Amino acid sequence: MVEPALIVNKLPIPTDGKHGGASIDRTILKNCCTTVRLAINISEVMILRYQKIVIVSLLALAGLCAITAQSSAKIFKDQLGRHISVPTKPRRIVSLAPSITEIVFALGQAHRLVGVTRYSDYPLEAANLPKVGSYVRLDIERIVALNPDLCIATKDGNPKAVIERLASLKIPVYVVNPHNLDTILKTILEIGILLNAGSRAVSLTAELHNRIQRVNSRVAQVAHRPRVFFQIGIAPIVSAGTETFIHELIELAGGKNLAEGRIAYPRFSREQVLALEPEIFIITSMARQVVFEEVKAEWRRWPNIPAVRDERIFLVDSNLFDRPSPRLVDGLELLTRLIHPELQE
Amino acid sequence: MITKTPRIVTRLVWTSCLLLVVLFAVLFLGVSAGSSSGGMFSVLQVILGQSDPDSTMHAIIWQIRLPRVLLATLVGATLSLGGLVFQALLRNLLAEPYILGISGGSAIGAIAGILLGLSHFPGVSLTAFIGSIATLVLILVMTSGQSVLKKESLLLSGVMVNAFCSSVIMFLVSLTQDAKLHNIIFWLMGDLSTADIRQVGILAGMLLPCFVLIFWHSHAMNLLLMGKEMAQATGINIKAVTLTLLVASSLMVSVTVSYCGLIGFVGLVTPHLLRLIFGPDHRLLVPACILGGGSYLVICDLLARTLPEQGEMPAGVITALIGAPLFIILLKRSGR
Repeated sequence: MVEPALIVNKLPIPTDGKHGGASIDRTILKNCCTTVRLAINISEVMILRYQKIVIVSLLALAGLCAITAQSSAKIFKDQLGRHISVPTKPRRIVSLAPSITEIVFALGQAHRLVGVTRYSDYPLEAANLPKVGSYVRLDIERIVALNPDLCIATKDGNPKAVIERLASLKIPVYVVNPHNLDTILKTILEIGILLNAGSRAVSLTAELHNRIQRVNSRVAQVAHRPRVFFQIGIAPIVSAGTETFIHELIELAGGKNLAEGRIAYPRFSREQVLALEPEIFIITSMARQVVFEEVKAEWRRWPNIPAVRDERIFLVDSNLFDRPSPRLVDGLELLTRLIHPELQE
Repeated sequence: MITKTPRIVTRLVWTSCLLLVVLFAVLFLGVSAGSSSGGMFSVLQVILGQSDPDSTMHAIIWQIRLPRVLLATLVGATLSLGGLVFQALLRNLLAEPYILGISGGSAIGAIAGILLGLSHFPGVSLTAFIGSIATLVLILVMTSGQSVLKKESLLLSGVMVNAFCSSVIMFLVSLTQDAKLHNIIFWLMGDLSTADIRQVGILAGMLLPCFVLIFWHSHAMNLLLMGKEMAQATGINIKAVTLTLLVASSLMVSVTVSYCGLIGFVGLVTPHLLRLIFGPDHRLLVPACILGGGSYLVICDLLARTLPEQGEMPAGVITALIGAPLFIILLKRSGR
């Protein structure tokens, strides 16, 4: 076991102190910055390998932070590199995306949420919180009226103008930008630290990481990677390219994404799909059950496609695949079961 | 150009005062309503400066609602005035920037600008202006050789220009990625929600000179409506006046379209209403359109914000719901 102090000594002392307001004690600020920097560095480099050390050191640092940080605000650097001043204990948080709501709930910090977006429907309690519009169409007035001391936004979806507008109204907006499973784990850690739930965040990410590893080790045994067509749009037919969570999940689950390529959400004609000869169709439930049956019947008209021949057309919950939240790992496990049913213990 | 007789000056002052009172009343209503709670009394307190300047209500009123109602005022004034000018120049009561397709042309320019990643000002405003001038030229070429634009040919050319514009817009939209697309569609339907006070300032800086210029030419519009010979006899340079007015109103319309998308039929409804009340003199109608048009769009935006139970709808939906039936009534009546 390595002493936490040793890790602290080895890490570079950040120089972010200059970003603090004149009212904030410099040493306290430095401590806070160190904590944050440390946590982020750790999350990037070591979380996956040295979990025990990380947990111990983070707990120790959280304690340190609690003792020293009596100032009212800390300076954080968000995932866009913006420096924002966040209260030490944010109490009135507005989440600007369903995925962020899910992360805050998973961290056990739901009591701090005062507002969420319209489609924040998981867990069920989230739906009862006040709504501030949908995540692409935020109602600035409602957000301001909730008097938040922190908004957590996502780069992918929240309009930049709204984020700037909120910042100009002196509301701290922490922007996250998760783009794959690794950065989702990092995002969970960062939000955990932001909300003084660092230890919960560490245990949650460790658990998620273990589950991903289990899938990895099981998929490593497979000889054949089935061709998967992941259909997220019905008319026109839309699938997911290489730069999406869906692609990463399909590949991790031991399949081959037929829509891989530069375009994030490529459109397909029926003819193109048939030519690709998918072995598995996965259709997301953004469409309702009835629509799914229609789409399924449509594909059944071509019994030559392997997926139709083997009856491998599945409907899945789209929320498990397009929200960068802990549930993406549920999506991964589900996908693995669908693509490699033979791997089940 | 303005021949000021004492009578017209008095009427002008009275009209302006009356409409200013209406505008202020409507602005107060617009500022009092919003998606968060807060009664009229607390709004009044904030406006009169009797509240804590750090309070949430203070920020909401001065930094969220006020820019929005001011933007609605400017846009409403511009579109009404645009309608009035086009009606005078084309001598057709059904002319209006949206119906003529000039708004559509600006929208093409603006979308192209957005897709090219240009900044809002001056980039997107400029491409929108180019788009509007291009459609204006197209309309003038299509209807050239007619001394008085007949309503059928005007409507037909408008329908064609609009059809062409909307297909180009669909083409551009289908080229884009999902996230951008969502914003473009909302913006297309007329969106006043994103304004901040700085943008409103820039917009006012561009529009107010146009308002003054058009008011300067208001008597010439009266003469133009009496016929070419009459206008020439009084010594006005028809070509210069027409060109100035066309360019000024296209510039105004395209700038507002680049800020808040397509808001239709405002330029039809307000000039008609005001003509019924104040008569056909453009020296009165120009200021009346500026003040009355502003009030009209503030009311439409107020309805758009308060009618839906959740969220809000674009103001363009309300203006079209009011304007399109009126257009049909006017068409029917003028056919008799």
